Amino acid sequence: MRLDAKIPGGPLAEKWDRHRFELKLVNPANKRKFEIIVVGTGLAGGSASASLAELGYNVKTFCIQDSPRRAHSIAAQGGINASKNYQNDGDSDWRLFYDTVKGGDFRSREANVYRLAQLSGNIIDQCVAQGVPFAREYGGQLANRSFGGAQVSRTFYARGQTGQQLLLGAYSALSRQIAAGKVTMYPRREMLDVVVVDGQARGIVVRNLVTGEIEKYAADAVVLATGGYANVFFLSTNAMASNVTAAYRAYKKGAFFANPCFTQIHPTCIPVHGAYQSKLTLMSESLRNDGRVWVPKKPGDKRSPSQIPEPERDYYLENKYPSFGNLVPRDVASRNAKEQCDTGKGVGETGLAVYLDFADAIKRDGKEVIAKKYGNLFQMYEKITADNPYETPMMIYPAVHYTMGGLWVDYNLMSTIDGLFVLGEANFSDHGANRLGASALMQGLADGYFIIPYTIGGYLAGNTKKKITTEHPAFNESLAQIDSQVKRLLSINGKRTVDDFHRQLGNILWEYCGMSRNDAGLEKARGLIRDLRGEFWENVLVPGSGSDFNQSLERAGRVADFLEFGELMIIDALTRRESCGGHFNEGHQTEESEAMRDDENFCHVSAWEYAGLEKEPLLNKEPLVFENVKLSQRSYK
Amino acid sequence: MTKTLNLTLKVWRQKGQNSKGGLETYHAKNISSDMSFLEMIDVINEQLTLDGMEPIAFDHDCREGICGMCGTVVNGRPHGPEKGTTLCQLHMRHFSDGDTIVVEPWRSRAFKVIKDLVVDRSSLDKIIQAGGYISVNTGGAPDSNAILIPQEIAEKAMDAAACIGCGACVAACPNASAMLFTSAKISQLALLPQGKPEAAKRAMEMVRTMDGLGFGNCTNERECEAECPKEISIVNIARMNREFFKASFFSEVK
Amino acid sequence: MNWLITTITSSIGKKLLMAITGLCFCTFLTAHLAGNLTLYAGKEAFNSYAEHLHSLGPLITVAETGLLLFGIIHVLTGIVLFYQNFTARPEKYAVNKSAGGSTLGSSTMPYTGLILMAFIILHLINFHFIDKTGTTIFQIVSDAFSKTAYIIIYVFAMMVVALHVSHGLWSAFQTLGVNHPKYMPLIRKAGITFSILIGIGFGFIPVFISLTT
Repeated sequence: MRLDAKIPGGPLAEKWDRHRFELKLVNPANKRKFEIIVVGTGLAGGSASASLAELGYNVKTFCIQDSPRRAHSIAAQGGINASKNYQNDGDSDWRLFYDTVKGGDFRSREANVYRLAQLSGNIIDQCVAQGVPFAREYGGQLANRSFGGAQVSRTFYARGQTGQQLLLGAYSALSRQIAAGKVTMYPRREMLDVVVVDGQARGIVVRNLVTGEIEKYAADAVVLATGGYANVFFLSTNAMASNVTAAYRAYKKGAFFANPCFTQIHPTCIPVHGAYQSKLTLMSESLRNDGRVWVPKKPGDKRSPSQIPEPERDYYLENKYPSFGNLVPRDVASRNAKEQCDTGKGVGETGLAVYLDFADAIKRDGKEVIAKKYGNLFQMYEKITADNPYETPMMIYPAVHYTMGGLWVDYNLMSTIDGLFVLGEANFSDHGANRLGASALMQGLADGYFIIPYTIGGYLAGNTKKKITTEHPAFNESLAQIDSQVKRLLSINGKRTVDDFHRQLGNILWEYCGMSRNDAGLEKARGLIRDLRGEFWENVLVPGSGSDFNQSLERAGRVADFLEFGELMIIDALTRRESCGGHFNEGHQTEESEAMRDDENFCHVSAWEYAGLEKEPLLNKEPLVFENVKLSQRSYK
Repeated sequence: MTKTLNLTLKVWRQKGQNSKGGLETYHAKNISSDMSFLEMIDVINEQLTLDGMEPIAFDHDCREGICGMCGTVVNGRPHGPEKGTTLCQLHMRHFSDGDTIVVEPWRSRAFKVIKDLVVDRSSLDKIIQAGGYISVNTGGAPDSNAILIPQEIAEKAMDAAACIGCGACVAACPNASAMLFTSAKISQLALLPQGKPEAAKRAMEMVRTMDGLGFGNCTNERECEAECPKEISIVNIARMNREFFKASFFSEVK
Repeated sequence: MNWLITTITSSIGKKLLMAITGLCFCTFLTAHLAGNLTLYAGKEAFNSYAEHLHSLGPLITVAETGLLLFGIIHVLTGIVLFYQNFTARPEKYAVNKSAGGSTLGSSTMPYTGLILMAFIILHLINFHFIDKTGTTIFQIVSDAFSKTAYIIIYVFAMMVVALHVSHGLWSAFQTLGVNHPKYMPLIRKAGITFSILIGIGFGFIPVFISLTT
C-alpha cells in the first residue's frame, strides 16, 4: 500500500491555511447529526472532545480513569513551548519548527511540524482565556523560561505543574460541554476494539471497568487519544494504567503502526531502588537549567559526593558539549549517563545514577531563588529518597518517558483506517526520533483544539454514510472475540501473576531495546519475548471474575498486547539500520559515539501493517522529504 | 537507611457497592522502608493472587502525587500521616516495624464504595460541571498578553488551582463536606479577570450543586486544609463564601 | 423572595445564619458582662444598673424578642446542621484521627451548644421568670448562689460558653469571608482572648457572690 500523507502543496508557511480552505465544511445545522467517539481525555482527547462539541457534533468521550481530569497529561511538569517571542530573543515559528525537526533527528514530517509551530501561540491564548494560571512577571505579563536544550526562552509554565493546569483547562471546557449535553462522558471504560464497517471506523467496544460488562458504541468517526506505550517497559514515568491496547487493537484492525522503536528515555528521573518498584518518577528537565551533572573521575569511587574534591569530578556534559553543556537534548543526556555508568563511574547504591548538583547554583543565586524555581521538585525528591537536594547533590538516572512512535496518521491526523483519527502521543507525527522538552503538551493541544475540529469536518462532509447501530454484525463479532479473550485469560489459572510477566518483559526491552541497541541483542530479545508470550498464555494467573471490578484482569489484557507489541518494537529496531534520536544502534555511531543517521536509506517513516497473529508484519515506507531544512548531523558541541 | 518492616494490615474489603464490607487482617512481611505505601499493597496483592485469593482493589494511577486517583484513609488519616503528601508519595519509612495499619476507603454519602478501597467520586466532577469553567469556545481568544494579571493574583489563583480533586478534604472533614474542593475552583476563577463575568452564576450554581449531592456542611473545623495533599488553604472557603454572598445578595442572578 | 429562602437554606446560607446570630450573641455577652461587672461594685451599684436597664421599657422588649428570635434561629439551624452532617457519613471510620485542624472547641460545638441551651433555660428561670416583687435583683442573685449546686452549674456553664465561643467567634469571621493573611491570626487570638474573658468574667461572679454574702 502506498502511504499518502496528503500534505498540501505550496510553500511551507502557507500549507495549513491553504489546507483549511480546501477542506470541506459541514453545514452547522448538520453537525448535530454526526456522532463522534473520542477515546482518552488527556490534553489531546479532552481538548478534542470539548472543541468538537462546541462546534455542534455529538460527542461520546471515554476514559479509563474515574474522571477525565486524571489522564496522564496531568503529570507533565516543565512547560509548553510557543513561538510567541515575548522575550524578544529571536524566536519565531520558523525557529520552533527548525528546532523541533532537528531535535527529532530529521525523522518527522516538515509540514506537520511547521503547523505545530504555527499553532503554538494560539494554544497559549486559548489556555489563558480558560483561566490557566501561567506564571507571570511582576508587571502582569506571561513569564517564560528556556527549557530542554532550547536557546530561546519560549516555554510557558505554571510552577512545576504545567500539564496539570493545561489538562484542568481542557477538562473544564469538557465539563462545560458535558453540562450542555453535547458530550456524554463514559469514565472507567477501557477501549478493547475499534469496529470497522466497510473499511470505515464506525464504533468501539469497551469494557465497563466497574461492572465488567462489554459495551458497544457506534459513531460516524472515532478519535483515539490514548497516549503512548512507554509502559511496555514495565518501569516508566507513565501512569500505571497507560497502555498500548487501544492503539494496538486499532493496529490489528488495519491502522499502521509507525516507528514503534522510537522511544524516549528521559535523563532526569529518580534512580531505581528496588525490585518491588512499580514506577519511576521524573524530575522536570528544567532542573538541568541550574543543576550540573557530574560523576567521579575515578570508576568505583564510593566516597560521598561532599568528599569528592572539585578536580576529581567529571562534569562530562559540560566538557563534551561546551556550547549546550547540561542542556543537551534528552537522548544525548540519557545516553551519556548510561555511558558513564557503563564505565563504572555511576554513583549510589546500585551504581546506576549520576549526580545533579545545585551547589554552584545555590552559591550563585541563593537558596531562596533556587527554592522558588524548584522547591516543589526538591520536595518531591526528598519525599521519595529521604535526601535533601539543597545539601547533597540529587541522584538521577534515565527512564522511559515518552514514545515518539505511534499509529501512522496523514496530515489530517487520520490513520490508515478511514474515519479513525489519532491524536497526541498515540500518533507518530511530529517528534520524529526524539521529542524536545515542552513539546508534548503543545502537540496534544494543537491536535485537539486546532487540527481535528477542521480535519474531521473535512472527512465527515465528504462522506455520506448509512446509519448503523450497534446491532451490526461487526459489533457482535468484536464483542464475541473480546468475550472469549476474557474467558481465556480467566481460565488459564497458571502460576505467575500478570505483573510478574510484565516486569520480565520490561527487563528484556530495557536491556536490549532501551537506550542503546545492537543487532545481536535485538535478535535475542525477540526470541525471549516470543517465549514469554507463549508462557503467558499457558501460565498466567488472573484471579476473580470477568463480571465485576477486576484490576488483575484489566492488566492481563494490557500485558497480553504489550507482549505482542514488544516484538513489533524489536522488529522495527532491527529494520532501522541506522541510529537516530531515541533509537541508538551501537553498530551505527560516529567516532565520537554519537548517533549516525543513514539519510540515504532510512529517511522514511516505517509504518507497520498487521498481517495476522504470529505472522511477520509488513513494512510500508513513507519517504520523508525535506525541502526547507538541510539535513545535518546534530551537533550540540 | 533502608530497613525491613513487618506489618499487620487491617484492610476494608467489600465485594461490591451493595455488599456488606468489613476489615480483614493481612500480614505484610519484609517490606522495604523505601517502598511507597501503594507498592506495599502491590506486594500484598501479588501474594494474595498467588495464594488464590482476590487482591485488594484500590485506585491509583500516576503514582507521583498529581493525578488525584489514589487515596485511602490510613489509621484515620486520609493519605496517611505525612503532611502535604498523597498516598502514592507516602513511603514506608514513616512506619515502624510491628505497626498495625488500618486502611479504609473515603467515607461520605456522596462517595459510594465500588469495591474494597475504590470509591465513586463522580460527584466532584458534577460540581465542576455546574460551573467550574470559563465559557470560552476554542478559537478567537485574544493574545495571551492582552490580559495583564498581577503576579500576586496569578500565584494565588495557582495556589487554588493546585487541587488534584482526590477527595481527601471530604474524607477528612468530620462532616464529609466538599467545601474546600468547591472553593478551590471558585477561588481560582474568581481571582482571575477571565473568570469575573460568570463569577456570580458560577458561585451559586456550584454551591447549590454541591449541596444537592449529599455532602455535609462546613463547620470550619479546618481538617480539610490540614489533610489536603496540596495544602490548599481555607482562605479559599472564605473567598467562596464572599463570592456566594455577593452573588446571592448583590447580583441579579437568581 | 424565593431567592432568599434558597440562599439561607444553602450550606453557606446556614453558616451565615449561625455566624450572624452567633456574633450577635457575642455582642450581647459583652453587654451582659459589662452590666454584671457592677456586681463587683456592690449591691447598690448592681441594683441601680438593673433599675436603669428596666427603665428602658419597650427597648428591652425589642431586645428580648430579638434575642429570642436569634436564639431560635441559632438553635434550629444548629440542629439541622448537626443532623445533616451526621448523616453525610453513613458508614463511620473505624479509626478517627485529627490532622491538627480541629480543636476541642470546634469538635464539640453541637454538644456545647445543647448544654448552653439547657443552661440558658435554667438561667432564665432563675433570674428572669422569677417573682421580683418585694425583693431586689441582687437579693435574687445572692440567694441563688448561696447554693453550692448552682455555683457549680454556673461555673461549669461559663466554661462551656468559653469553649463554644473559642471556636464560634473566629469561625463567624471565616464564614463571613473575613479571612485575610494579615488579620486572621489576630482574629483567632482575639477569639481566644474574648472567650477567656467571658468565661472568667461571668464564671467568677457566683464565686464572688458566695464569698462576699
